[in-house]
Amino acid sequence: MSFETPTNNGNIRPERRYYDRSKSDDLHISRTDINMLIMNYLVTEGFKEAALKFQQEAGLQEPALCSSLDERIMIREAVQSGRIPEAISMVNALHPELLDNDRYLYFHLQQLQLLELIRAGRAEEALAFASATLAEAGANDRNALTELERSLALLAFPDPHSSPFADLLLPSHSQKIASELNAAILKMENQEYTNPKLCSLLRMILWSQSEFDKHGVKYPKMTDLANATIEQPK
Amino acid sequence: MQQLTIFMDIESSRSYIDELYSPNEEKIIEALVTLKNSVIGSNRQKSSVIEQGIVPRLLQLMTDDGLDPNIRLEATITIGSLAKGTPENVASLVDQGTTIVLVELLKVVPTGTRLAEACLCALRSIFQHPPAPISALPADMRLLTRLTQIAREGSPTARACVVRILSIWCSGPVEQEALCAAGACSAAAALLASNRYTAPPLARALPALDLLAAMCFENANVSQVALNTRYGDKTIPELLTTLVSRDKPLPVAMGAARCLTFIHRAGALTADDTRVVFGALPCLARLCTKDMPEDIRATAAETLAYLAEVDTSLQRLAAISNHLMSSLAEIVTCPSAAAKQGAFKCFASLGANDEDIRKRIIETHGLMVHVVSGMNNPEPSVRLAAVRCLHSLSRSVQQLRTTFQDHAVWRPLMQLLNDSPGTELLTVGSSTLCNLLLEFSPAKEPMLDQGAVEMLCNLTKRPEAALRLNGIWALMNMAFQAEQKVKQRILCCLGTEQMFRLLGDGDTRVIMKTLGLLRNLLSTRHHIDAIMAEYSSQVMQAVIVVLEGSYPAEVKEQALCILGNIGDGEKAKDLIMANEDVLRKLVDYLAHPEGKLQEAALFVAGNLVWRGEAGAAARQQRLADLGVLRALKLLRARHDAHHLHDRVKTALAQFNDFT
Repeated sequence: MSFETPTNNGNIRPERRYYDRSKSDDLHISRTDINMLIMNYLVTEGFKEAALKFQQEAGLQEPALCSSLDERIMIREAVQSGRIPEAISMVNALHPELLDNDRYLYFHLQQLQLLELIRAGRAEEALAFASATLAEAGANDRNALTELERSLALLAFPDPHSSPFADLLLPSHSQKIASELNAAILKMENQEYTNPKLCSLLRMILWSQSEFDKHGVKYPKMTDLANATIEQPK
Repeated sequence: MQQLTIFMDIESSRSYIDELYSPNEEKIIEALVTLKNSVIGSNRQKSSVIEQGIVPRLLQLMTDDGLDPNIRLEATITIGSLAKGTPENVASLVDQGTTIVLVELLKVVPTGTRLAEACLCALRSIFQHPPAPISALPADMRLLTRLTQIAREGSPTARACVVRILSIWCSGPVEQEALCAAGACSAAAALLASNRYTAPPLARALPALDLLAAMCFENANVSQVALNTRYGDKTIPELLTTLVSRDKPLPVAMGAARCLTFIHRAGALTADDTRVVFGALPCLARLCTKDMPEDIRATAAETLAYLAEVDTSLQRLAAISNHLMSSLAEIVTCPSAAAKQGAFKCFASLGANDEDIRKRIIETHGLMVHVVSGMNNPEPSVRLAAVRCLHSLSRSVQQLRTTFQDHAVWRPLMQLLNDSPGTELLTVGSSTLCNLLLEFSPAKEPMLDQGAVEMLCNLTKRPEAALRLNGIWALMNMAFQAEQKVKQRILCCLGTEQMFRLLGDGDTRVIMKTLGLLRNLLSTRHHIDAIMAEYSSQVMQAVIVVLEGSYPAEVKEQALCILGNIGDGEKAKDLIMANEDVLRKLVDYLAHPEGKLQEAALFVAGNLVWRGEAGAAARQQRLADLGVLRALKLLRARHDAHHLHDRVKTALAQFNDFT
């Protein structure tokens, strides 16, 4: 077994460097790197138009678009606009094994379809649909059963939108499922990172800060991610 | 675009199923897509489709190369989805010949097409349901070469599928050799390669690790090939060593350590190879620690058990690695059977040879309680592993006298052995009994009361040589310095007929132990006379059978020792003296070229000529007449028998009157 030995040996003291914010470009971050991270975000999240525009304006060489981007955009649109059977059909055409392998995800798509029926006030159809298709998933999975019960509980209210379960009818719910599906497709395509790398970087900052906090270290803390506001230690 | 209905219930939509048989290709494809979308994700729909007998039509559509390629593709995808249903669904597909159709299709479809990929996916799903229809995939070199080529060059999905299928298919030496010849080692190596920073993705690496393990398991030849197979600048063991490091995903590290273990046990890597000592072993010890998920810990413990099963240096090293002892003790308390049995097996391996390690195992808090309760576990694999652990620990004299006694381990053990156990459990269990029945073991008495004699006698009648050996061995141990009633019980229960049968056993070890039993039965003067009074003719016959038969020297030595014991009896002596055949044989053996036979014969002669006993003079006279005296004198004169001279002298001194 071999160990990498550090280049400095005993008599040379390792140089300790602190990052001084007032100094301008001590640590160089290349523009291309930043552009690539932004591109990665746009592509992973399926902002195709923006990605193409950005590629043009930033003068990026490679159109780093992965093969399924168009399909993923169409699937996302279908899910978010409530055209579930169409979305399922597209997923099955793209990755036939996906929804068979991830039954919980399939359940979530069917649940969205149920919610569409409820939203449209087609109660009888909703009940029939639930017993014909969703009951199977509910019988096999505790989590699914709970979620199914919550969805069906919407029927008990004259106005589902003002019920305690109204969150299910909000666009944020279908967006959440659409992202879940998007991530599953990317994973199926053997992509290492199913989340945008920018998210990973931000998560790493949060993790490092929480480690510092745990050990009571004083450091300039980023308190607002969106604006990258940094507060000096008191 | 077709109208998508909300309901795609099979029963209520017979019509589109009829379309599957339409002459119109457009309609067929539409029906297929609807069918596909309805079965994906729903086992109920899958069962319904299979019940309606649509499978044969789908198989037909798949194979008809006159049809639109899309029809064939959609039909194959639908079959693939059905293969992700319940075990009954898969069994039904296999019964209808799906596997064979898929394999035939793989032989002809161009690789790299979506149809080929769909075929592989479907085949993989079928193979992942045990029992995999292994025979449907023949060891046909052309097909295997084609498959390994896909494993090297195909799309990521196709590669993962092929390798997974082959890893399940590889179940014996024939498959191992065939795959090796088809270049599967280099295909696996290619899948394990990683760039400098990242590990190969799980979906790619895991099947490759499983395939490599399946190919190398107990196969010296394939392991040797793996040792020398390179991808880029690295050999397979080097690739594996990279993967066992801490920064790799746990299942990858686990799989890589397992491969290194198998390659070592197959003899291609020595026990002191750095890739075993600093690669596989520390990784497995780490994966046993309590921060790991239970399934990983279970596999790690079981693999470590296999790694350290025979080599003492690995056992010692493992025992001091990463608090392994306490990790294993915690795994024993995990709920799953896999975890418990892995930990017991690992303890068994660690304690196999080294007394110090055994001591440390026993001292592990509360372990014996777990071993005892493991023997009562409802899961047979756990019971077997617990007995294995006990067997390993029973090699310790000290433990037999202390901990084993405190926990009355013989009780659950006897219970297990009396409860019609499987051959494997019976073998390990009876080996353990052999140790528990050693003379210094306090468990001896209570085990007799539990019917140990009867059980062991029955073991000697088993068709498996290992069981006969353990049975007779344990009886031999039991008879050593035992009370007369125990000896009588053994003789009575075993029966002389069975004893003769064992003396004719095909396994020399069984014969040795049978004679050993006779020797132990015939010891101390009082017992000799009592037993010979009842069984003299049979015992003498047994001895003569062995002395006259074509047995190896060590067997004959045992027979002479029995004779010597008989010669020590007061009345029993006369039985030998009355048998001229035996006495003449004695003369022959005193002059035998084999040293140990000479020595044994001298032991017999010495007992017979002993002076101060009644009738000594008459015996001496007779022995002198038959040439024993002359033979002894000759022996004294021989230079190669120098080490016997003292005893020869003592024997000759008895003949005072004659010299």
